Amino acid sequence: MPLRSCFQLAILPALLGCVCFAQSSATDLNGRQFDPVKSNPGKVVVLIFVRRDCPVSGRYAPTIQRISGEHESAIRFYLVFPDKADSADQIREYLKNFRYSLPALRDPSHVLVKQAHAQITPEAAVFDGKGRLAYHGRIDDLYVAFGRARQSPTTHELEDAIAAALAGHSPAKQEVAGVGCYISDLE
Amino acid sequence: MKLARIAVSVLFVALLALICAAAGDFGAGVQSLQSRPAHTVTFTRDIAPIIFQNCATCHRPGESGPFPLLTYEDVKKHARQIEIVTRTRFMPPWLPAWQDLKFADEMRLSNEQIATIKRWVEEGAPQGNPADLPPKPKFTAGWQFGPPDLVLKAAKPFLLPASGSDMYWNFIFPVPIERTRWMKAIEIRPGDKQFIHHANVLVDRLENSRQREKTPGAGFEGMEIKIESEAFDPDSHFLFWKPGTAPYVEPDGMALRLDKGTDLVLNVHMQPSGKPELIQPSIGIYFTDHPATKFPMLLQLQNDRKLNIPAGDKKFVVDDQLTLPIDVDLLAIYPHAHYLGKDLQATATLPDGNMKTLIHIPQWDLNWQAVYRYQEPVFLPKGTTVHMRYVYDNSENNPLNPNHPPQRVTGGNRARDEMAHLWLQVLPVNFDPKAGDPRMILQEALARHNIENDPEDFESHYNLGAMLQARGKLDEAKAEYEAALTIRSEDATANNALGAALITEGEPQQAMRYLRIAAESSPNYFDAHYNLGQALTATEDFSGAAEQFAAAVRLRPDDADAHDNYGSALAELGKFTEAEAQFERALEINPKHTLARENLEQLRGAMSSH
Repeated sequence: MPLRSCFQLAILPALLGCVCFAQSSATDLNGRQFDPVKSNPGKVVVLIFVRRDCPVSGRYAPTIQRISGEHESAIRFYLVFPDKADSADQIREYLKNFRYSLPALRDPSHVLVKQAHAQITPEAAVFDGKGRLAYHGRIDDLYVAFGRARQSPTTHELEDAIAAALAGHSPAKQEVAGVGCYISDLE
Repeated sequence: MKLARIAVSVLFVALLALICAAAGDFGAGVQSLQSRPAHTVTFTRDIAPIIFQNCATCHRPGESGPFPLLTYEDVKKHARQIEIVTRTRFMPPWLPAWQDLKFADEMRLSNEQIATIKRWVEEGAPQGNPADLPPKPKFTAGWQFGPPDLVLKAAKPFLLPASGSDMYWNFIFPVPIERTRWMKAIEIRPGDKQFIHHANVLVDRLENSRQREKTPGAGFEGMEIKIESEAFDPDSHFLFWKPGTAPYVEPDGMALRLDKGTDLVLNVHMQPSGKPELIQPSIGIYFTDHPATKFPMLLQLQNDRKLNIPAGDKKFVVDDQLTLPIDVDLLAIYPHAHYLGKDLQATATLPDGNMKTLIHIPQWDLNWQAVYRYQEPVFLPKGTTVHMRYVYDNSENNPLNPNHPPQRVTGGNRARDEMAHLWLQVLPVNFDPKAGDPRMILQEALARHNIENDPEDFESHYNLGAMLQARGKLDEAKAEYEAALTIRSEDATANNALGAALITEGEPQQAMRYLRIAAESSPNYFDAHYNLGQALTATEDFSGAAEQFAAAVRLRPDDADAHDNYGSALAELGKFTEAEAQFERALEINPKHTLARENLEQLRGAMSSH
């Protein structure tokens, strides 16, 4: 008996750890756990947080697709969906509607949200080749406030941060708040 | 003879941009006082009633809101966002500040309601007791007034691109009616409402707009359309759709006339969503058997000529004023500027010196432009001066400024130009019906006022000429047409009008010079060919006349007068068989065409005697 309880004690932490790990990591659309930064050692990784029910996210789709297309070989881009209510099929449908050809991740426990310090959608996070968070915040300054957008952006924070990361130095701005739908409303 | 046409300018205008009112609490003071809840604010008890009444109309499936707000889960998922957009008064979208004169369907939260939402979010957005939840709001499914008498659907959908700037597209709806009908209501279904900012219907009685389509039914791009009307038939009704506004039934006696051959042109302002969208609007029309007995008119104040805004100017003011020559009821108002517009205000100073604010928009936002109807008609006696004062911000601080860095901006129709327009829907009252149409007095006053503002205003010279011609003042009319032609010498409409006036005066030789310019500069202009045919007939150049009438019947195969005149010219040339066919065609179109019948009989007599 003591031996048995000992055995339980021994495996319990492992089980807990395993359960916790399964719940708290991001997954791809097939349900496999996936850590986008650790999975791409030495690469610049960009996460873009989006909500399906966020019109600002939607409007940025062509911009996100363009920027990712321009850096296809050098950078790994992922769309991250932080709404735990989003099913994989709903996300696939969204990708199709918005003509995305980027890999998508579900982040129901907001592991990536915390790692990237993401506040709103759409928001970008740039991790440099050493896996450090080099920039997080808005993509550009198209929106000034809810519903108040310029005709075209005058600053391009995400592209600036990407250029800096590829050149191996840190960007001039490491954090710029954006306009969009709050991720905290999903908790 | 075809009457000269009146160029009724430009109804709406549309432009683009996005907005939001970073407004202050300009709603203060107005509101019904709700007691501030001392308890914990909950969704079911405190928030749901606010959301159901003020937000859910648009925020539900199939409507313009980008996400539904019908359940606790829906609202919780946007709680912080809702707190911000209500506090800044971006939502519900309602631009005018509080004022004494009330508008119908005001969409405005009270300061209390906004504070309640804020507290709820700060306290963690709790759900509360499910038993407190009010019933879900009920909405009428489908057409709001039941099945329309006539439903028109755009012939072809428009493909809205995934990205880019705002898009203005026009869909033409031919109205398939065989006789004149009276429209009491119209429901505009602009397409997928999430991507439509506003839509506006113009009445095109002369198929003007079709000439702008590449192929029939294709529609055409553009934010401003100019529609001409035959004789004096000014625009009278705002047929406007914006998110959250229910369709509207015209008051008794104010139905809108639709004739056989009328086109409705739907101008739609769309905003790309990030994915391509197919937009295919439809329109539901409700008729009444009661013809119109009251005739409102859309009056436009404008002062685009004063728009010459230096780069960097934060507070550039443009104003205009018009003193009303008759008593009117003001029914609705529609202010319009483009991206630099900041503070738009209109007031009325009555003859007794009293001043009323007609509308004040402290933070203009082109994206939420709208027609505002007054809850009650506003009586403005003769001698009232309507004053518009618009302030523009052409500095770098205006995020909607299309130019970086700012540049000098002047008046014009393009998105990057500016506008200073104010439309008023007025109904003449207390007039003597025997003294003629009171709207002509308004139109003339307006044209003279515009010319005073801008002696180079082509359209006003032209309209004033048409007004004077209608009143039989031919010499004054000709002078105005000539003034218009010194500004735009090639303009087909003005050349045609002057030509027509000269024919009336018995000067066909002089008329021809202008009519030729009209026909050459606008080869598809029926009136010019027709009138030129008349002038040539009067100078006994029948072969030239036949050529012009041939062009006229090609352009309008269903115009009995044109066939009759063509027949006459052919008969004069001895082409009897061809002439006979033209008279027969005229009678086929209009069996009561006396002149064609007489001509046919005379021709047949001549043919049998040969």
